[in-house]
Parts: sequence; structure tokens; C-alpha cells
Amino acid sequence: MKSRAVNTSIIAGLTGGVIVFLVMLASVPKTSAIPAFSRKYQTSCTTCHNNYPELNDFGEAFKKNGFKFPKDDETFVKEPPVLLGSKAQKEAFPGAVYPGEIPGFLPVAFRYEGNFTLNRKQPAGFVAQNGFTPRTDLFAPNTFTIISAGSFGQNLSFWIDDDISVDAANANGAMGDGWLKYSDLGHGIGLPKNALNVRFGQFELDLPFTQAKSIYLSSYDIYSETAVAGSLGTTNNPVIFGSPQRGIEFGGTPNNGNFNWSVAVVNGNNTGDVVRSSKDVYVRVSQKFNLERDPESRNAIQAAGPTGPRDHTSVRVGFYYYYGKNQQNQTGTTFPGIATTLEEPFYRVGGDLRFKYRHLELFGLGMYGHDDNHLFTPGPPAAIAVAPAVKFSGGFAGANYWFYPWLIGTFRYDAVNSHADFINGTPASQYHTRNRFSPGFQVLARANIKVVGEYQYTFGTPYTDPVTGNTLFFRPNTFQAGIDYVF
Amino acid sequence: MSVMKIAANAAIATSLVLALAGTGKANEIKGKVSVQGIKSAGDIAVYIDAIPDKKFDPPKEPVVVDQRKMAFIPHVIAVQQGTTVEFLNSDPVGHNVYWPSISSNKKLAHNLGTWPKGEKKPFQFHDVGVASLLCNVHPEMSGYVVVTPTPYFAVTDKDGHFEIKNIPAGKYTLKTWSEDGKPTTQAVDVSGPTATVELTVKK
Repeated sequence: MKSRAVNTSIIAGLTGGVIVFLVMLASVPKTSAIPAFSRKYQTSCTTCHNNYPELNDFGEAFKKNGFKFPKDDETFVKEPPVLLGSKAQKEAFPGAVYPGEIPGFLPVAFRYEGNFTLNRKQPAGFVAQNGFTPRTDLFAPNTFTIISAGSFGQNLSFWIDDDISVDAANANGAMGDGWLKYSDLGHGIGLPKNALNVRFGQFELDLPFTQAKSIYLSSYDIYSETAVAGSLGTTNNPVIFGSPQRGIEFGGTPNNGNFNWSVAVVNGNNTGDVVRSSKDVYVRVSQKFNLERDPESRNAIQAAGPTGPRDHTSVRVGFYYYYGKNQQNQTGTTFPGIATTLEEPFYRVGGDLRFKYRHLELFGLGMYGHDDNHLFTPGPPAAIAVAPAVKFSGGFAGANYWFYPWLIGTFRYDAVNSHADFINGTPASQYHTRNRFSPGFQVLARANIKVVGEYQYTFGTPYTDPVTGNTLFFRPNTFQAGIDYVF
Repeated sequence: MSVMKIAANAAIATSLVLALAGTGKANEIKGKVSVQGIKSAGDIAVYIDAIPDKKFDPPKEPVVVDQRKMAFIPHVIAVQQGTTVEFLNSDPVGHNVYWPSISSNKKLAHNLGTWPKGEKKPFQFHDVGVASLLCNVHPEMSGYVVVTPTPYFAVTDKDGHFEIKNIPAGKYTLKTWSEDGKPTTQAVDVSGPTATVELTVKK
């Protein structure tokens, strides 16, 4: 009996390790800037992006206003919308369908991203233990995305993006976001503008730093960390913090957009059919402190700089909390002999900080993850006992600097500290399993064409020297360079 | 009135007309600019080049270039050297106005900064040449200030027509500037009340 339990633990451990490794390799879906808006307003990408797809202050205001200019939107629209019923039809409601509108053009845009990868040469002992990785890989991932977004009148907006293909030829991608949002729900009860909005569908959570619209080639490691106990227990949580989820989100951006809140109820797993009955809850609040001295500039959508509009000098602090109950063994087959559903509550909690000053942006995020865990003994009699929780911590910090409007230097440090990862075969060191420095550069060859480079300097991964038998460490460093264009 | 007296009065009147014509008070140039390889004959500046030994006081009244619906209006404006141009922001979004050079002279680059809706920012153009107006957050915005050495200038309408009035009689050099075409130069004789010219601007 004991050997069966050990075997089960080993299999679970290996499975967990593989899952964690795959999660590490998988990049979460990326969405992008919207050239459809460039067409609608006949304006350049730089109106909303200092470095697409990251939004500048104007782009944030545009997004918060339901993909409309924050003031006098109609005067800027170069392609008027098609009215689905005259505005006067409002008076006839409910005797008539409430009037709406659709974009006057087809709001579709496309994005291509392809990366060149150069891996550090692996020592023979490392290859023997971890498998061979080619030194170079041309244009992988190789992603083509279709994006559609816009507004359906005053309060309704929508977004859909789908990776038509990823990686190699004919490789199918998947939907990133697909949602409908109703803004300013509280207008009728006297709430400030956009203090209460609601969003339905599949969406990236209101993350402190967006993964879907990240400027970086590599994902934020802590966002893709999953809690898998492996040999340490039963925890096998499918939640990937940075991936889109299906659900409903209430949120708002009162106080001139400086305060942000959101509460989302989501499925709790990111791919395929829902795997449990309970829903997860995500809460986020953040406050931006606008540090502009001139009151007029402070209250404007963008600050008035001596050489043109720019983002406000500001500090944003935020807090987030994700809670759910992972459920396993609903059919009684995961843990044979146990008739009940195994519930394992978990949470992710953290805070974030962002500082913007002129051409400099500093940012950081910390996260702590905690999953209840159990130990399964196959028996007979089969038994479930409480085991030490699976925990991880980490985050990232970085800086971006605009040397020129088209040349941006980037730097990021990612840290993931997970004892479970180490035990389950994602080793670098016992406490720092996925730490790396990632300096890089981004060049806007045009407002819609980008060349991006990123070097990932990782911590050493242990392997056994085949000759001496000593434990050595190898840093699987990688350089990636990519092209990225949207149209 | 005798026939002789009538004839004398007519002669005096004719002399006066000729004398007035001689002072050039009512002379003008009317013309049309044709284009080759350029999309439109509109927005082409036509002006009389510097006149030797002739100085002109700068106008006291400023002219206005508006920023409206994310465009400079007018797209091309011609002003006399020394004119103050007031740049108005009529948009509820932030703009700025800068020019990286005046006729490729980068020492004359200037950035006026940012100002809110409804406000103007003046700038006096002392140097002859062309300033390409840009906004550093809306690169699709473009406009031109063509600073001329004389007060005799015009900008063509969409069909290429132009009219320069109040030119003293004389022989001058007429020049053009256009966004997409090469500058052209043509001699013009404005000894009569109206001189008619045909110009061609090529890409």
C-alpha cells in the first residue's frame, strides 16, 4: 500500500512538473493596439499609445470612455456611425426597439508578431537531462491576430480579439478577449460619470499591469504561476492569473479616472469547459495620485509639457485579491475511494506601484499565492488528510525610458519563489525558481511597426556533470528579437 | 459746354486715370496655377519675391492658425515677414505646435509647447521661408506657414486660382511654394491694372 501511495505521488509530482513547465513556456494570449480606431478618427496610433499596445493617458481616458474621445467625440469621428433607429425612437420605447448604432466602417484590425530566438549553448550534461533545445528559432511564436473593437452608441462598447494562428504553420490560436461593456450604469441614480460599469464575456481581469497588452516579449512570470502540489499533495489549481477568464465584472473609474475599482465573478479556469460549480471573485482598487503642479494641466486629459502633451507625472498604488475554491474529484475518479468532492480554497493577493515622470516609467508588483492542500492516501481505506498549503510569492519590477519617442529602453526583473515548483521539477534554486533579469529595447520604426529585443538572463538550473558526477548550474539565457506590426 | 471744353475735361480725366495707374494703387495679379504630378492645385503659396532696396513694415494685425478636429486650419497660410501668427487650440484635446526648421534651417526650429482649448499662443515670424507645423502627439496633423519677404502674396483655391492685389506698378519675380511640388519662379510685369499669369508647378 505504501508503494502505491509513493507511486501516485511520483506520478502526480511529474505531472505537476510538466504542467508547470508547460505553463512557463506558454505565453498567454496577447491583444494589441487598434488601427480600427486610427481609421475611425483618422489619427495616428501615437494619439493613444506612447509605445503600443501600452496606453498613454489619453488612451486610458479613451478606453474608460467606452472607446470614445473623452470630450466632443462626435466632432472627431471621420466616419459617422450607422444609426440603428433614430434617436427619437427612445421616446417610443418600450413600444419600439431602443435605438442604437454600429460603427460606420468595419472595425477590424490585424496584428502580426514574430520572434527570433537565440538560446545559449547547452552543455552536454544539461541536454542529457533536460532535452535538446535548438540554439536558434526563427519567428516563433508566429502569431496573427484579428481584433475588433468599438462602440454601439453612447454607453455600449465591445472588444474581440482572436489569435487566428500561433507558432508554426496552421497552428490554431484562441480567443483572447470577447466582451460587451455597458458604461455609466449609475448615471440614473446620480453617480459620477463612469463610476459604475458592467462588462460581460471573456476578458482579462482588471490586472494592475495588463498582460494581454504588454509591451514585452515575455510574459510576467508571476502571472503565469500555477499552484500544483505535485508530490506534496493534491493541489492542482487551473487558475492562471494573467489569462482571460469568462465572467461578469462590475467596475468604475470615478474621480476623473484617478480612482479605479472592479469586482469580477469568473469561472476560475481559463481554457475549455468550466471545471467546477463554484465561482471565483476578483477585487481590485487603485488610486492614481496626479502630481502635476499646474491645476489646469493636472485636470486635463494629458499634461501640458513644454514640448507638447505628455502623460501626467503620477504615482499609482493598487491592491488586488483573488479568491476561489478549487474543486476536484466531483466524479470520484480523481481520488478513488473518496466519494466527496475535494474543495481547496485558495487566494492570490498583492499590491502594485507605478510611477511616471516625463520619459521615465517605474513599476512593480508583488503577489502572494496560497492554496489549501491535502494528502491523498489510496488505501484501502482511501483517505484525505490536510497537508501543508502550497504557497508561492514573487512579482516583478522594472523601468522603461523613452530616449526618443521611437526608442525605448526596457528593463524588468521577475521573481517567482515556489518551493513546490522546485520539488516538482522546475528548479533553479530551492527558493527562487523562476527569477530573471530582462533588459531590452523597443524601436518604433513607424507608429504601427515595432522591432523589439529582449535578453532574458536567468538563474542557474542544476544538472549533473556526466563525467564527474558533480552538480553544476547552467543559465538557459535567451535573446529574443521580434517584429510586430498592426494595420 | 463747347466741344473743346468737353474734350479738355476728357483729356484731364484720362490723364488722371493714367496717373493713378502709374502709381500702382489698383494693380493686381490674377492667375492660375496648374500642376503636373500633384494631386491638387490648391494650397499653393504664390508671392512676389524680395524687391531690391524695398523694405516693408510688418503688419500690426496678427493672423490666426486654428487647430480644430485635429487639423491645422488653414493647411497653408502665407504671411509677410514679421507677421505675428496666433496659434489657437479649438480642440478639447491637448496639442502642441512645433516646426523642426524653417526652410531646412534647423537653427530656426521652435516648439511652442501646449495650451488648452480656446487659448492662443503667438509667434512672430522674422525669417523668410517655410515653417512646417507639426504636433508631436498627433503626427497626422500638418500645416505650413510660408513667410514671404513682401506683402504681395496669395494662396491658391482648390482649382489653382489666385489673386494678389494692391501691387505697385513694376516688374517683379513671382514665386510659388507647394507642399508636394518644386518651387517655380516667373517674371511678371505689373504695369497695367491687371496682370494675368499662368504658372505650372511640377512634382
